[in-house]
Amino acid sequence: MALLRATEIEKVYPGVRALAGVTFDVQPGEIHALVGENGAGKSTLIKVFTGAVAADAGSLEFAGEPLAGHDPRSSKSLGIAAIYQQPALFSTLTVAENLNLGAEDPRLTRRVNWRARHARAAELLARVGASIDPRRLVSSLSMPEQQWVEIARALGTDAKLLILDEPTACLPAEQAHQLFDVLRELRAQGLGIVYITHRLEEVFALADRVTVLRDGATVGTWAINEVDTERLIAAMVGRALGDLYPARAVAFDGTAEPLLRVRGLSSAASGLREVSFDLRPGEILGLAGLVGSGRTELARALFGLEPISNGEVQLRGQALSLRHARQAVDAGIAYVPEDRRRHGIIGDLSNRANATLAVLPRLTHNGLMDAVAETRVSADLLTQLDVRTPSIFTPTGHLSGGNQQKVALARWLAAKPAVFIVDEPTQGVDVGAKAEIHRILAQLADEGAGVLLISSELNEVLGLADRVGVMREGRLVAVLERAAATPERVLSLALGQAQEVA
Amino acid sequence: MANQTPPRQIAVRQSWAERWFPNREWALALLLIIELAAFAVLGRNFATAENAAELVRLGVEVGLLALAMTPIIVTGGIDLSVGSLMGLSAVTMGWLVEVQGLAPGAAALAVLGLGALAGGLNALLIARGRIPALIVTLGTFSLFRGLAEGLTGGMVSYSKFPPGYLALGQSYLLGLPYQLPVLLLAAAGYWLLLHRTPQGRGLYAIGSSIEGAHFTGLPVARRLTLVYVLSGLMSAAAALVYVARLGQAKADAGTGYELIAITAVVLGGTAITGGRGTILGTLLGLAAIVVLENGLRLAALPAELAQVLTGALLISAILAYRWAQPSAPVPAPLSAEEFEMKTSHVFTLSLAMVVSALIVAAGNWMLVSRLAPVAAGPVVAAPAPVAAPTAPEPTPAARPTIALMPKNKGDAYFVSCRLGAEEAAQEANVELLWDGPTQPDASKQNEVVEAWITRGVDAIAVSVENQAAISTVLRKARQRGIKVVTWDADSEKDARDYFINQATAEGIGQTLMDEAARVMGERGEFAIISASLTASNQNDWIKVIRARLAERYPNITLKTIEPSDDKRDLAFRKAQDILAAHPNVKLIMAIAAPAVPGAAEAVQQSGRADVKVIGLSLPNLCRTFIKDGVVDCIVLWNTVDLGYLTVLASKALVTGDLQPGATSLAAGRLGTLEVAGDEVLLGKPFVFNASNIDDFDF
Amino acid sequence: MSRFRRELAVGAALVVLLVVVSITAPRFFAPATLVNLGVDNAKILICAIGMMAVILTGNIDLSVGSVLAVCAYLGGLAVKSGLPPVLLLFLVPVVGALLGALNGWLVVRAQIPAIIATLATMVGLRGALQWATQGRWVLDLPPGYQWLGLGQETGQILIIIAALVVFAVAVYVFGWVAGGRALYAVGADEEAARLVGLRPPQVYFWSFVALGALTGLAACLDAFRFRDVPSSGGLGLELQVIACVVVGGTSINGGRGSLWGTLIGVALLGVIGTVLTFQGINAAWAKAIQGLIILLAVTADGQWRRGGRVDG
Repeated sequence: MALLRATEIEKVYPGVRALAGVTFDVQPGEIHALVGENGAGKSTLIKVFTGAVAADAGSLEFAGEPLAGHDPRSSKSLGIAAIYQQPALFSTLTVAENLNLGAEDPRLTRRVNWRARHARAAELLARVGASIDPRRLVSSLSMPEQQWVEIARALGTDAKLLILDEPTACLPAEQAHQLFDVLRELRAQGLGIVYITHRLEEVFALADRVTVLRDGATVGTWAINEVDTERLIAAMVGRALGDLYPARAVAFDGTAEPLLRVRGLSSAASGLREVSFDLRPGEILGLAGLVGSGRTELARALFGLEPISNGEVQLRGQALSLRHARQAVDAGIAYVPEDRRRHGIIGDLSNRANATLAVLPRLTHNGLMDAVAETRVSADLLTQLDVRTPSIFTPTGHLSGGNQQKVALARWLAAKPAVFIVDEPTQGVDVGAKAEIHRILAQLADEGAGVLLISSELNEVLGLADRVGVMREGRLVAVLERAAATPERVLSLALGQAQEVA
Repeated sequence: MANQTPPRQIAVRQSWAERWFPNREWALALLLIIELAAFAVLGRNFATAENAAELVRLGVEVGLLALAMTPIIVTGGIDLSVGSLMGLSAVTMGWLVEVQGLAPGAAALAVLGLGALAGGLNALLIARGRIPALIVTLGTFSLFRGLAEGLTGGMVSYSKFPPGYLALGQSYLLGLPYQLPVLLLAAAGYWLLLHRTPQGRGLYAIGSSIEGAHFTGLPVARRLTLVYVLSGLMSAAAALVYVARLGQAKADAGTGYELIAITAVVLGGTAITGGRGTILGTLLGLAAIVVLENGLRLAALPAELAQVLTGALLISAILAYRWAQPSAPVPAPLSAEEFEMKTSHVFTLSLAMVVSALIVAAGNWMLVSRLAPVAAGPVVAAPAPVAAPTAPEPTPAARPTIALMPKNKGDAYFVSCRLGAEEAAQEANVELLWDGPTQPDASKQNEVVEAWITRGVDAIAVSVENQAAISTVLRKARQRGIKVVTWDADSEKDARDYFINQATAEGIGQTLMDEAARVMGERGEFAIISASLTASNQNDWIKVIRARLAERYPNITLKTIEPSDDKRDLAFRKAQDILAAHPNVKLIMAIAAPAVPGAAEAVQQSGRADVKVIGLSLPNLCRTFIKDGVVDCIVLWNTVDLGYLTVLASKALVTGDLQPGATSLAAGRLGTLEVAGDEVLLGKPFVFNASNIDDFDF
Repeated sequence: MSRFRRELAVGAALVVLLVVVSITAPRFFAPATLVNLGVDNAKILICAIGMMAVILTGNIDLSVGSVLAVCAYLGGLAVKSGLPPVLLLFLVPVVGALLGALNGWLVVRAQIPAIIATLATMVGLRGALQWATQGRWVLDLPPGYQWLGLGQETGQILIIIAALVVFAVAVYVFGWVAGGRALYAVGADEEAARLVGLRPPQVYFWSFVALGALTGLAACLDAFRFRDVPSSGGLGLELQVIACVVVGGTSINGGRGSLWGTLIGVALLGVIGTVLTFQGINAAWAKAIQGLIILLAVTADGQWRRGGRVDG
């Protein structure tokens, strides 16, 4: 009997079909790997498992019982524990308290037994082999240490099913192996484990079976000895590249004078090391790499949001000082960030205000904004980008993800910057809007801008980019010409299975 | 928004309602109209052009603060320091003009500079230091007020301002008050800033998502600095208007204004969490508050009601905004499972509210019934006369309206005066209005007198908190043919017809000093605990006491003077400190009604039988201490008689029975009293001690 | 010990202040002065403990001063009408708790931001009390009222002990009872708290109730020092109490703070007025010095530097 069985799960968000029929099961005493590109629906699937979101269709069974109307609390009491990518710990509390809070009786009048807490915390930490003093505050722990606490906490809930979402994203290699040992032991104890990762070598090192998701649907499930890396990558990437992506009107001129020249860029705080590349006018430079490989950090550094400890950035031959975002904006760099809701748009503001936020000085005469011009500019932009909204005065926060992203792009289109940095521009965006965003990016390049496209979706990078850079562990390990950039090659570079110098 | 057939056309027009009331402020506008309609019916002379001008004057100072507060709250911040900064700016203005002899214009510029500087301190810590605004401005709230008090010793009150400057606060231009352009200018400026400039747009972005603003390359720190510096500037401007209106500057200017300003802003639909709000909304919120206060006064309803209604208004406004904005991304409503609002919860809460209401009602009833035997006969059987908000009926010519104002409605001294006033009102068949500040507040006194002038009363009798501040408005009352009497403490002489003099400052001060010397055996150290140190009669008494001391008692030293803010508990604390810090002090002279029992309690608890308290207080408050021997004696007149005489004298003025040149006045049960010039004398101050205290009950 | 940096800094400031006083005005340390200071600050401490609970969850309560005044006055009225004074110790906190429940309800159920909801109750309760009493005191309370009839010395000791007992109970609750720990968890991360099975609204609600009950207790303990109850108690108490809590290192955003810090904060701000009198400095400077201490405390420990870079 399967520990967890999901049948034909569907989930539709406004404008996005996140899950389109996922069938999946985990047996007790099994590690089942779940792989797929970003946006394939893995995170949503976990949320459905834990009850954080409710599925629109399909059925869930846990230990033979139908699972419906559950929430993270009730599923935890059933024995489903999940570890998310970002540690969700109480930073102002101690390790011991974090390890015990969820496992204890939630009545507020209960006495807290600190001795038992510390003993249990020490035991759990010992089980995962982490030497952390339970009395320390979580805020004083390093990221890997926090990850261990997170893992220990999940163990402590007497879980029957353990779901791990990229647990090794911030663990150094030897600690990752330590984690594998722990997981293998848990498997031996009869736990079912769902293991989500981008690192295929981990799949082969650890998993019993592997399921590939693509576009919210199951591509297939294989026993680990039935597949190899190539086949998994093929399954993840899928077919049908070509006509999904817009044709470029202007051929990329690889010999043009670089627009943006980055040399030896390092940032101690964010782990960037010696990044060098050129971005030419009319070029889309794709940046591939795993989550945590330094792509977003590179974008932030180029936009003046990360302190640069070393290296040089030149725009059209002028060296830039990038201590504030303002300086980047003034120099002509635009950044459409990854976290759209928090950073990309300002939800309370109207579409009009969001669209013109970067060009306000241009719409200002004698210190006052020209409301007529602002309305005209924003209406033009929103129409040009085909934003689906009733009015330019609608708060952007009320729009769907794809339309929010278009508004975020519109803001920078208005500013006509020389360099566009777009970070995961189509994450959580429906297919139609996605194609339109691709068209916009291509058009930008055709008009002579340089576009730095960061995406975890390999198809997107390969379909749009003129050249593809691959990042790993804070380094830009390769920049491939379009012809040379096959999915397999990019993935193996990103995973560190192949070496290449740009 | 998963619309499969989306409108290709994106609307680029807004309805006028959406444009002007983006946060549904029309709800407040409606409420304001209802308020205006209600007071037009209830309040006398409410709906007049004159009162409209008055409303504007009342609103200007808080209005300036509220305007400045709006962009701050829009950015998700708050500024608690504005009222305190008004105090600091006011005393700086007074010092520059009066002591340094600067021209008012130059002084005003300097004060504005000071305001900007003080705002800059807030800005530095909030925008650059990233410390929460609530904490920073809580600190500067204390700091600015403390500097104002420290620099003036808490007691200096500046009042020598040239008339040209005072016109800013007191004169009219074409029937409109001079302050109106100031407010309009500020409102226009802030409206432009917030709604028409890129800087203003940035403020909304910051308040909505500070990170998002940052990712757009907005200079967040610079924008925040701008609004806090402007707020400091506006506080200083508000102080300049305040000083001009009152004609006096002291350290307590603007006390509590910060909360009124915040209330106006939040009422106006600005979200305290930032990102939403309009200047128009703030002006509406301001109007709602000012109209409420003014309307209640004109309807002769008690001022405390304004506070209760403001609280209720605040809560209902927020609920109304939420209700009117179902589409806004409000925090997800709690599921039943998150917080079971069981019947028991509802019950508990309903109970809480009912109990509180009952408690308050019962408290009122018990007090009234307890006080009943105190005053003569049926006087108190009729509940407080102010509690009769009936529709305005034309006052019969035979029944004049006399309005009496204490310095502080809450002070036991004035509570006993009121008993006599009510007794006389009954006897003489006059309609009595009794209203005033609930804490000593010169500015509030002015506002109440203004309301009475508008309402149209026959006589106004004021116990003056601050001479310079009240005299202008009293003169205005006289110009309107209203008889003006001062009682308990005098205004400038030409501002009133008669002063009901319960006892001269010389009489009080000399009696107190002589009694003190007697108790001390004419040698040793003593200390004074005063009321707020800014009240004019307190300062007069202290002056007389010092003079008498220098003249007659060379072996007695005055060690220290500590203020008690008219609070019993503070007087207690100060007395404890005096006893500990100055062990040779043999006598504490407390010259405020609540201060005597406070000081006496401290002396009694210290077990120091060698220290005595004397002072100026009410028999009822001190009875037990006098019997215990802690309080040797208190010096006072009969306060019930004072209230009684004030009403009778006011009536005599109205009916013409008391006219210039009179030398005596028939005052009911008090018999015939002497009139000396323009003063009616109650009699000599009386010394209450253990032998006679039981003969008095007030 | 970087965890307790604020506590140590403020504690050091207190020690320095006391050392200076001990040199310049040793009489400050007379037992009577210290007892008086203890009694006087007992109510601040008790309220500050409740306020800390509320602030730890990320809320705030501006209504404590008004609640204190209402509670003290009602207690006086009840005794006046014949209730044995000792019963106040049980009844008045219940009244306070009910008023706290009103605040909690407004915040949790009506979802009004705490600062606005409690601003409304602060103004409303104060106005209602003044309206109802018209400024009259409750006078001539029976002899059993002052010090509960136990005499001054016993009474003073009782008040100090009561405050210390409340503190000790709070140390236990904040450290060893799930509800107390929940204050920290909910204040640190509401979403994570939900995930571990806590119900944040419940915690918010009860923190307001606890503050109300403690304010009620503080009100009657404070009132027992006297024979009469004035109608205007607790004016400005709210900001005084919030200042003590903040100076003691509790984060206004919730989730961080220690009771010992709050105790030191109360002690530091509580002795200033008296110290000024002993140093012969005009008492008018007390507020300025208090403001300075608040600003120094929040800037000096460097906590704020971690707030992230802001463009400028």
